[in-house]
Amino acid sequence: MAGKQDYYRTIHKKWLFILVCSLLMLVALVFSLSIGMYNLDFVECYRILIDHLTGNITDIYADDIVVNTRLPIGVFAIIVGAVLALGGAVMQSMLRNPLADPYTMGVSSGALLGASIAIVLGNGVMPFFNDSWIRIIMAFGFSLIPVAVILIFSFKRSVTATKIILIGIAMMYIFSAVVQLLMITASEETLAEIYSWRVGTLALTTWETIPIPLGISLVCGAVLMYHHRRINVMMAGSKSAHSMGVDPEKTILVEITLVSLMTAAVVCFTGTIGFVGLVGPHIARLFIGSESKHLLPASAVIGGLFLLLANCIARVSGEYGLPVGVISAIIGCPLFIFILVKMRRKSAWN
Amino acid sequence: MRLVIDGIEFGYSSVPVLKDITLDANGPQLLSIIGPNGVGKSTLIHCINRILSPTKGTVMIDGDMVNDISLKDLAKKVGYVPYSANDTFPLSVVDTVLMGRHPHATYKSLDKDLDIVYDTLRLLDIENLAMRNFNELSAGQHQKVMLARGLVQQPEILLLDEPTSNLDIKHQMEVTRILRDLSQEKDILVIMISHDLNIAAKYSDTMIMLFDGLIYAIGKPSEVITKENIKAVYDVDSEVIDSHGRPHLIMLDEEFDSRDTALPADTYAVKEKR
Repeated sequence: MAGKQDYYRTIHKKWLFILVCSLLMLVALVFSLSIGMYNLDFVECYRILIDHLTGNITDIYADDIVVNTRLPIGVFAIIVGAVLALGGAVMQSMLRNPLADPYTMGVSSGALLGASIAIVLGNGVMPFFNDSWIRIIMAFGFSLIPVAVILIFSFKRSVTATKIILIGIAMMYIFSAVVQLLMITASEETLAEIYSWRVGTLALTTWETIPIPLGISLVCGAVLMYHHRRINVMMAGSKSAHSMGVDPEKTILVEITLVSLMTAAVVCFTGTIGFVGLVGPHIARLFIGSESKHLLPASAVIGGLFLLLANCIARVSGEYGLPVGVISAIIGCPLFIFILVKMRRKSAWN
Repeated sequence: MRLVIDGIEFGYSSVPVLKDITLDANGPQLLSIIGPNGVGKSTLIHCINRILSPTKGTVMIDGDMVNDISLKDLAKKVGYVPYSANDTFPLSVVDTVLMGRHPHATYKSLDKDLDIVYDTLRLLDIENLAMRNFNELSAGQHQKVMLARGLVQQPEILLLDEPTSNLDIKHQMEVTRILRDLSQEKDILVIMISHDLNIAAKYSDTMIMLFDGLIYAIGKPSEVITKENIKAVYDVDSEVIDSHGRPHLIMLDEEFDSRDTALPADTYAVKEKR
C-alpha cells in the first residue's frame, strides 16, 4: 500500500534525524573539550580521551583538564539541555500551549527561592551538610512546592491546562517577590551569590554532580517516553482525550509531577537556565512534527546539543567565561523568533 | 447494542440543563438530536461518554453502567467527534487519525492500526490528505478528519457534535449519508447533533427534539418535524412538505415576506467588473 509506505518512510526519516543529531552531539562534546584557557585542539582531545580509556595516559595535566574538568561539564550540559527540552516538549503537548516549558509551573523560581534562603541563612538551615549541598537540597525541595500545590488543589477541584499555567504563574510571582525581599536585606556578598545562582551556570560541575540528576532524569524520562501515546492524545484537547480512553486530569498530574521532578533534579545544581525548554521542542517540531514518540527523543537530543554549544560559546567569552544561562537566552531569543517566522511561512501552526 | 438512559439530570452550577431525560435506543440506526441553542444537546452526549457525570439517573450500554466501565474500554465502545478540532501543533492527518486507535493500540499494532486508518481515509475520500499537516486543511476537511478519528475507534456508539456544521451542501449530504450507511454496515448506533433540520430529517432513522432540558418530541422524522413542534420549540413559522417520504421544512418570516423586498432590476449595490 503506497500510503502506508509513505508513512513508514517518514518515520524512518525522523529516526535518522534523531540519530544524526545524536552523532553531532557526540562530535560537539569532543569539540567542547578543546575550549578553555589551556589550549588543546579537537584531535588532541580525541587522543587524550582514547588514551584515558585505554589506560595509556601520556600527559597527566592535559588528561586531568579534559577528563576531570571539561568532560563532566560537557556531559552535564547535555543532561541539563535534554531534561529541559524533553520537559518542555511534554508540557507544551499536554497543556496545548506553545509557550509552556518546564519552568511554567514555577520550578525554577522555587529552586531560586530555596537556594536564596540557603545562601542567606548559611549552614544554619541544615548543620550536617556543607554549604553547596544545603543549597542543592533546599533548591530541590522548594522547586517541588508548585507541583505539590497543584496536586493538593486537584483533590478539591478539577485540574485543567489553563489552571495549571495560572497556578504556576502565581507561584512564580510569590517566589520572585520573596527572593526580592531576601535580596533587599542581604549583604553585598550574599547578593552576588544569589545573583550568580539566578543566571545559571555549569562551571561548578564535577563528576560528583552527575549521578543524582542523571539517575532521576533517566527514570522520569523513561516513564515519559513510555507514556508517549497518552501525551500525544492529550494534544487533541481534554474532551477528545477522554473519549479516546485517556483520563486528562490524571495524565496531567502524573506527567507534570515527572517533569517537575527531573527539572528540579538538574536546576538545583545549575540554577535557572532559560530558553532551552522552550526552544528545543520547537526546533524539533520544525523538523519532525509533533507526534510524541519522535518529538520527545528529538527534543531531548536537540536540547542537549543546544546547551552544549551555548556552553562552548559561554566558555570562549571572556577570561572566566560567561554563565551559560545568559548565553542560552541571548542565542535562544533570536533563534526562537527566527523559528516562529520560519514556521509561520511553512504554516506549521496557526 | 443498546443504549438506555434513565432519568438523567445535569446542571452547570445551579442552572439545570438536563431535567429528566429517559431514552432507550437500539442500533443500528442514525439518531439525530435537534433543538435550539443551549437546550443541552452537547451536555446530553457528554453524559453518554462520561465526559460529564449526571447528577441524577443512569446511562447503560448493553446492560453495563458507563460508570462501571474503564475509560479505555468505554472508548472501545463509544466514539466521539467534537464540534471543533484542536490544532495548536503541527501533526499529520495520519497521526491525528491514529490517535483514535489509542484504546486498541499495543506496542505491536502499528501496522494493523495503519491499515484501519488508511481504509477509513479512503472511505471518507480523504486519503490524498494523509501526509498533509492537519492545521493546513480547511474547516470542512478538519471535520472529515475528526470523523475518521472517531470511526477508527471502531465504536458501537458514535457520538457526533454537529459533524457537518462547516461543510458545503454537497459534503453535508455526503457525510450524513456515510453516517447513515455506516450505521447499517457496521452495526453502529450513530447519535448526531444537528442544526440542519432538513439534512437530519432526510437521513435519520430517529429524531429527538430537545427543549428546556426535556425531550419534547421523539420518533420518526415525520413525527418530529411538524410545523407545530417547530413553532413551539424554535418559535419559527414554517411549512413542512413531503420529499420522498421525508419531511422538508420551509421557514417562513411573515413580517419580512410581507415587505416589498424585490430590488429594481437595474440597480445593484455591487456590479461585476469587466
